[in-house]
Amino acid sequence: MATMAGLSRSQLKELTRIVGDRGVRTDAGAKSAYESDGFMLERAAPSVVVLPRSTQEAAQAVRVLRDAGLVIVPRGAGTGLSGGARPIAGGAVLGTARMREVLEVNEVDRYARVQAGVVNVHLSNACDSAGLFYAPDPSSQTACTIGGNVGNNSGGPHGFRYGSTTRHVLGLTLVDADGEITELGGAFPDPCHGYDLIGPLVGSEGMLGLVTEVTVKLLPQPETVETLLCLFEDLDACCDAVSEMIARRLEPSAIEILDRLTIEAVEASVLRAGYPANAEAVMLIEVDGGAHEVAATSEDILQVAKEFGAFDSRRTSDPKERKKLWAGRKGAFGAMGRIAPDLYVADVVVPRTRLREIVQVAAEACTARGLRLANVFHAGDGNLHPNISYDRRDKEEVSRVVEAGAIIMQACVDAGGSLTGEHGVGLEKQDEMCMLFSNDDLGAMKSLKAVFDPAEFWNPGKMIPVRGCREIHTKPLPIDQGEVVS
Amino acid sequence: MSQAPNTDTKTPCADAPVGHHRGHPTSKESLVDHARSLDCIHCGLCLTTCPTYQLTGSETSSPRGRIHLMRAVAEDRLEPDAGFREEMDFCLVCRHCESVCPAGVEFGAMMEFTRSSLMERQKPGPFARIARWVGFRRILPSRFGLKAAVLGLNLGQRLGAIRLVAPLMGLRGSVMRHLPKVPPRAERKPLPALTPAKGEKRDRVLVLEGCVMPELFGRVNHAVADTLSATGLDVLAVPKHVCCGALHAHNGEMQAAEGLARKTIDMFDAVDASARVVIDSAGCGAHMREYGRLLANDPKYKERAAAFGDRVVDYSEELNRPEARERLDPLLTGDHGIQGTVTWDDPCHLCHGQGITDQPRELLDAVPGLERKEMTAANSCCGSAGIYSVLRPKDSLDVLAPKLEHLKDCGAKTLVTANPGCHQQWQVGVSREKLDTDVLHLAEVIQRSLRADS
Repeated sequence: MATMAGLSRSQLKELTRIVGDRGVRTDAGAKSAYESDGFMLERAAPSVVVLPRSTQEAAQAVRVLRDAGLVIVPRGAGTGLSGGARPIAGGAVLGTARMREVLEVNEVDRYARVQAGVVNVHLSNACDSAGLFYAPDPSSQTACTIGGNVGNNSGGPHGFRYGSTTRHVLGLTLVDADGEITELGGAFPDPCHGYDLIGPLVGSEGMLGLVTEVTVKLLPQPETVETLLCLFEDLDACCDAVSEMIARRLEPSAIEILDRLTIEAVEASVLRAGYPANAEAVMLIEVDGGAHEVAATSEDILQVAKEFGAFDSRRTSDPKERKKLWAGRKGAFGAMGRIAPDLYVADVVVPRTRLREIVQVAAEACTARGLRLANVFHAGDGNLHPNISYDRRDKEEVSRVVEAGAIIMQACVDAGGSLTGEHGVGLEKQDEMCMLFSNDDLGAMKSLKAVFDPAEFWNPGKMIPVRGCREIHTKPLPIDQGEVVS
Repeated sequence: MSQAPNTDTKTPCADAPVGHHRGHPTSKESLVDHARSLDCIHCGLCLTTCPTYQLTGSETSSPRGRIHLMRAVAEDRLEPDAGFREEMDFCLVCRHCESVCPAGVEFGAMMEFTRSSLMERQKPGPFARIARWVGFRRILPSRFGLKAAVLGLNLGQRLGAIRLVAPLMGLRGSVMRHLPKVPPRAERKPLPALTPAKGEKRDRVLVLEGCVMPELFGRVNHAVADTLSATGLDVLAVPKHVCCGALHAHNGEMQAAEGLARKTIDMFDAVDASARVVIDSAGCGAHMREYGRLLANDPKYKERAAAFGDRVVDYSEELNRPEARERLDPLLTGDHGIQGTVTWDDPCHLCHGQGITDQPRELLDAVPGLERKEMTAANSCCGSAGIYSVLRPKDSLDVLAPKLEHLKDCGAKTLVTANPGCHQQWQVGVSREKLDTDVLHLAEVIQRSLRADS
C-alpha cells in the first residue's frame, strides 16, 4: 500500500495493528465514499479513514494521527446535513461506525451507557422490553448514531416535548488531541464536581474532541400514545393552527407539518403512509401521557384544527398505524430523491407565530430562482426544513440553491429566529454565522475551542467562519460554495 | 401482484445509458447504470440494514457507498479497479436496502448491471473462467449436468471422499461438508406433468421445479404440489424445464440469464399461457417477476416477458388467497408432529425482493397447535445469497453468525423458510452450532398438517 503525505509506512502499519485490517482505509474507493455526508453541495476526500472499535483503540489511533500531523474529522453514520462529518481537504476521518455496543442498560436508575456508534433506534430497541425509551428521535434515527446526535445536539419530532440531545446526556467519554481519555459526568452527575463541561461538548460538532461513549437518560414509555393527522387545504392556515394550539397551552409531544410536494414524494415511496393526496398540507401530531390527559388533549387539538379549516382528520392509537404514519414523515427527505438527484435540506428556526411568513419567503426565493421547494417542519418548535431539489452537476443551479438558502436564513434571523435547529452549522452555514453573531461572539467561540483544542486538530475549518465577517458581508454571496472541492 | 407502482417523476439524464443490457461496455460511463444511481440522495437510511456494512462499518461496503462508488466510476472520478470490484462482489444483493429506501433506488438492478459489465470488461482468470463456464453453462441449465453433479456429491458423501477433500479446500470445504445429504432417489423424482385437483377443481396453476430444488429438495416440490392440489388446483409442471436464470443474473452472466428467461417463457407458455406461475423458491420468484425488465430491450419478448412476470406468484401468496384458505383451513390439523415453537425467517428475495411478509406468517398461524415466535431481525440476510456461500464462505458465515444468535435467543425448535439457498445455509449453521432445530420449507409444514384423508 502506498504511503501518503503525513502518514509514514510504519505509522500506517501501527494504525492497522491498533484497529485491525478492516479498520484502516487509504484506497481510492474509501476516500471517495467518505468525501461527503448527507450534505452534497460540496465534497472533499480524506487521506485516510480510521474505524476504531473501542475508546482505547480510538485514543491510540489519535496519537498516531497526531504524530503524523493529520487533522481529524469525527464521523458517526454520516447522515448529517451540514457537511460537518467530512474533511475540508485531506486529513483523517475517524469514524465510530464499528463502536456500536450498548454497554449497559440500567432499568432501575433509568440510564444507558453506549458506545458512540450505537444507532439511535437501536438504543430505544434495547430498552423497549424494560418499558423505557430514549427520547431524541431525529428523522434519520434508523441510521444516525448517538455520538453524531451529541455532536449536533440533535432533536427530532418529539424534541417539542422532550427537548433535544443536550437534555438527555448525563455523561461523556472524551478522547482529546493527546489521546488522553477523560470521563465527564456519569450516570449520577450530581453533585457536580467543578464546571459542567458536558454543556459545551453537546453540539460542538466534533470540534473539541472525539466522544467515544455516552451515558444517557432513559424515560418511561408513556401509558397512552395517540397520533393525529389533520388535513388542510391551505398551508398558511395549518401554520396558524400550530401557533394557536401552543397559545392555548396544549402540550402534544410532536407537531409536524408536511406540504403537498412532500406528501406526493412520500406517497410514491415504499414508506407511503396513506397521507391523502387532496391535502395542501398535513399536520401530524402525537399526544402522549395518561389515558385521560391524552383523550382531552386530542379533543382540544382536533377542535383547534377544525377552527382553522382542517377539512378532515384521523386519530389512531394502534401501534402499527402510528408507525406507518411516522415512517412517512421520517422518510420524507429521502423520498425527495424521486424529484431530483440532490436535495438541500435547510434547517432554520423562527418564532412559531411567524412560521407562515418564512414559508412565504422561502417560496418566493425558490420561485424566483426556478427551484422546487418542498416543506417539512417540526412546527411545534418553529423549526423549518425547506427542502430544495437540485442536481449537483448543474453548477449554476447549485449557486442558485445557495442563494435561496442564504435568503431563507437571513429572513429567519431577521424574524428573531436562528440559523439551525438541529442539523448543526458545519460547512453549510459557516458564513451565515455572521448574520447572527458579532465578531466578539465568534471570538469567544474561538477561545472556547482553543481551551479544548489549541492545535486546531479537531474538525478544523467548520462552524466558525474562516474569513472575517466584514469580508463576508461585503460580498453579495459566497460564490466559491458552488464548486466541487476534490 | 404486480410491483409497487413506480411514479418516478425524474427525467433520466440525457447522456446516461437507458434500458438494461447492452453490448460490451466501451467506456467507464457505460459500466454502471448511471441513470439509476442518480435516484440516491445520500440520506444514509439504508446503512444499518446492510449486512456487509454491519460487518465492516465501512461506507464503501454500504448500499449508499456502493452507489457512490458506481456513480464516481461513471463520472470518471474513480477507476473501476480491483478495490471497486471487491466491493461489488462483497455485496450479497439481499436488497434489504430497497425495503427502506425512501427514494426507491433499485439497488438490485444496479448491482446486476454493474456485475455484468465488469464481467464483460475484465474476464476472470482461466481457472475461474472454466469453473464459471461449467457451473453456469453446463450444470445449472442442464438436468443432465445437475444430475451428474449430484451423483458426484452423492458418491463423495457415501465414500467419505468429501471428508478427505474438504480440508484441502479450507473454509470452502467445511461448507461443502455440510451440504445436504443427497436424498434418496424416490425424493428426487420429478413432479408429474399434472397433479390433479382434489375435490372440486377451482383453477389451475403452473409450478417451477427449478434447478437444484428437484435434486436436493425434491420433497419440497412434492409438498407444494400436494398442498396446492388439496385446495382444488390442478398443478401443472413443465417437463424438461430446468433453470430460470436468477443465479446467472445475480452473478454477472446477463446474456445467459436473458437466454434462460426466453426459454422459460416459451416452455411455460407452451403448457399454459394464462395460468399463474407458482414459485417455491424466493430467489427465482423475485427474478421471474422482473422478466419484463430483463427483456425490456428485446422487442420480440418485451411484452410477453412483462405479462409473464405479472403471472408469477409465490407459493405462500397463492396458498393464502381467500379462495385457497377457504379450502385449506378445514384440512389443517394439529396432528403434524411439530414440537416446540416455530419461527419464520424471511428469505430476502421474498420480503425485500417481492414485498411478501404477512402471507407465510398467516399460513403458519392457521395451523392448529403451532406456536409461532418472531425472531429478531428475521428480515435480515442469512448469508446464503445464491452461490455467495460458495464464492465467499467466510463472509457468508460471518453474516450468518448474528442470525444464529437471534435463533438461539428466540428458542424456536423449527425454523421455517422458503428458499433452497437459505434452507441449506440454515442447515449448515444449525449443525455447526449443534442446535436442536429443524429447518423446513413452509410447504413441508403445511403438508405435514394436512388431514390424512385429504
